[in-house]
Amino acid sequence: MIWEILRMAVNSLTVNKMRSFLSMLGIIIGVGAVIAIVSVGSGAQMQVTSQISQLGSNLITISPGIRRGSSGRISMTSTDLFTMELADQLQQNCPSLARIMPNLQTSGLLIAGTNNYQTTVVGVTPVYQQIYDFYPARGQFITEEHEAGATNVLVLGSGLATELFPETDPVGQKVKLFVRNRHLLFVVVGVMEEKGSGAWGNIENQAFIPASVLMKKINNRKYVSGYTAQAASAADAKAAVGEVQYFLTRYLGDPSQFRVTSQEQLLETISQVTGTLSLMLGGIAGISLLVGGIGIMNIMLVSVTERTREIGIRKALGAKRRHILTQFIIESLAMSGFGGLIGIGFGWLGAAGVAKIGGWPLVVTHTSVLLAFSFALLVGLFFGIYPARKASKLDPVIALSYE
Amino acid sequence: MLIQVINLQRTYQMGSVKVEALKDASFQIKEGEFVAIIGPSGSGKSTLMHILGCLDQPTAGSFLMEGQDISAVSENELAEIRNKKIGFVFQQFNLLPKATILQNVSVPLIYGGIRGRRRQLELAEKALQQVGLGDRLHHRPTEISGGQKQRVAIARALINNPALVLADEPTGNLDTKTGKEIMDIFRQLNKEGHTIIMVTHDQEIAEQARRVIQIRDGLIQKDEVIA
Ligand SMILES: Nc1ncnc2c1ncn2[C@@H]1O[C@H](COP(=O)(O)OP(=O)(O)OP(=O)(O)O)[C@@H](O)[C@H]1O
Ligand SMILES: [Mg+2]
Repeated sequence: MIWEILRMAVNSLTVNKMRSFLSMLGIIIGVGAVIAIVSVGSGAQMQVTSQISQLGSNLITISPGIRRGSSGRISMTSTDLFTMELADQLQQNCPSLARIMPNLQTSGLLIAGTNNYQTTVVGVTPVYQQIYDFYPARGQFITEEHEAGATNVLVLGSGLATELFPETDPVGQKVKLFVRNRHLLFVVVGVMEEKGSGAWGNIENQAFIPASVLMKKINNRKYVSGYTAQAASAADAKAAVGEVQYFLTRYLGDPSQFRVTSQEQLLETISQVTGTLSLMLGGIAGISLLVGGIGIMNIMLVSVTERTREIGIRKALGAKRRHILTQFIIESLAMSGFGGLIGIGFGWLGAAGVAKIGGWPLVVTHTSVLLAFSFALLVGLFFGIYPARKASKLDPVIALSYE
Repeated sequence: MLIQVINLQRTYQMGSVKVEALKDASFQIKEGEFVAIIGPSGSGKSTLMHILGCLDQPTAGSFLMEGQDISAVSENELAEIRNKKIGFVFQQFNLLPKATILQNVSVPLIYGGIRGRRRQLELAEKALQQVGLGDRLHHRPTEISGGQKQRVAIARALINNPALVLADEPTGNLDTKTGKEIMDIFRQLNKEGHTIIMVTHDQEIAEQARRVIQIRDGLIQKDEVIA
């Protein structure tokens, strides 16, 4: 009998296709939006996560603390904290740290013959290669000797190499760095490998020089803006955070002067933020599902009125209340369910479109599809109950004489 | 006794006005009878038929069907009685306009708990063949004539083999010739043993029944058996 009633419900929906479609529109949009938003959220999250892990693994960042200014503004605390000597001390006192390097960079114009390029110049020590898992493809990287002697040598990112030396092999060539109104002459000793695409594409266009050169010859300061350290394993990274915090608190005397962030924490924060964001947006999309439900209720009420006579006939032929109730609820469910299916299609297409533009993999999870679809059904059920009850309670004699 | 009607009253409350559609009606009908109820417009014929058809309940008095007091049963049981024991034929035909006539005739089987769609349609087809519409199964009500519609309605009324067939002006919307054909069907059904109660305001048609109950202003005026 359920099949028979289901068949009747689908029939009555197909009789007025345009009207059924318009009534389903709210559900279609709601389900589509939920699926698209959740998919875009997790796609973007996967993208960011993979980019962060691409940077290297088990990284720990040590940076100046954040302090609230008197006017309520947020500002970094003094950067006159971190020196190269402190990096050495950290290395010695924190056994879980495999290696550590200063964070140091500036921006300058590189000139090679007639070509020039404005870019970021990063001051590095040799461990940069292991920390970021990033090695030269040609020539060599900055060595301990370069660093100790503050030699004017330079390693080019692969993109930068083609910008400055489109035809010749850059290794051994001379480049001029114009920074802070001064010219410095460097010898190119290496070209980095290509690291692949991603939001960090500009890494291909960076130049690397010894940290000591940047500090002594350009900045004329002994302070660096922070450190990036690496632990041997994920477990070590956790321990290292504690060790660094312990050591720095003792060394600087004030824990609010610095921040220690592990990559893991960063990933967690990002996934939390994107999670919350997609939940919020999904919730908003959910509201449109509710509104869609009201559309369905509206059309169901119209349908009940239009079919008053039919209800009378059915009751005269022996339909019980529950038969009429089931018929109309199934109709409402069929509408929301079918709308949900169309919505899944549209949502999937939308997510695929955005994923293509954003360049991340299309992830449509079963959970989001199932959740959106069952919510649509629930909405159909909820908003179908009132019209269906109204129909089932009609007095047969009155319904039969309805014109 | 199939039907016992005792001091039946039905009053409609229209705001402050009371309409007494049935004032005091009493009669009995045995199995196998063919009764015509006749009376002027507004005399309470349809009101009476609705109560006999278990679509409505009396304000006072009682209506017993096969000895069971109908005012004492639940709404669900009433629906079951309508489904199993009563076949209703209306002046307006009252077919479902969007369904085929085969589907229309099968509706009481759906609510009667006959299992299997194929079985339901087989039974409906047989019933339509009996009223001479075996070749129109997949037509819709809008595609057939009034007389044919009424035959579909009769097939539908009979599909669950009811104890009682009620017809409220079954020929009211038909021309004389078609009306006669429908009456022939009713007479044939009565011969086969069906109990039939039919409302009409046409004396000539009433005389084709075997008993005529005359009603006026909600009261039984005359109750006579035709020889
Ligand atoms: N639902 C109702 N509400 C109020 N009054 C009603 C209702 N149904 C019927 N009546 C009144 O009850 C009286 C009897 O009506 P009923 O329909 O039984 O007459 P009838 O004999 O079938 O007439 P007709 O031959 O025109 O069909 C009429 O006065 C009618 O106005
Ligand atoms: Mg009437």
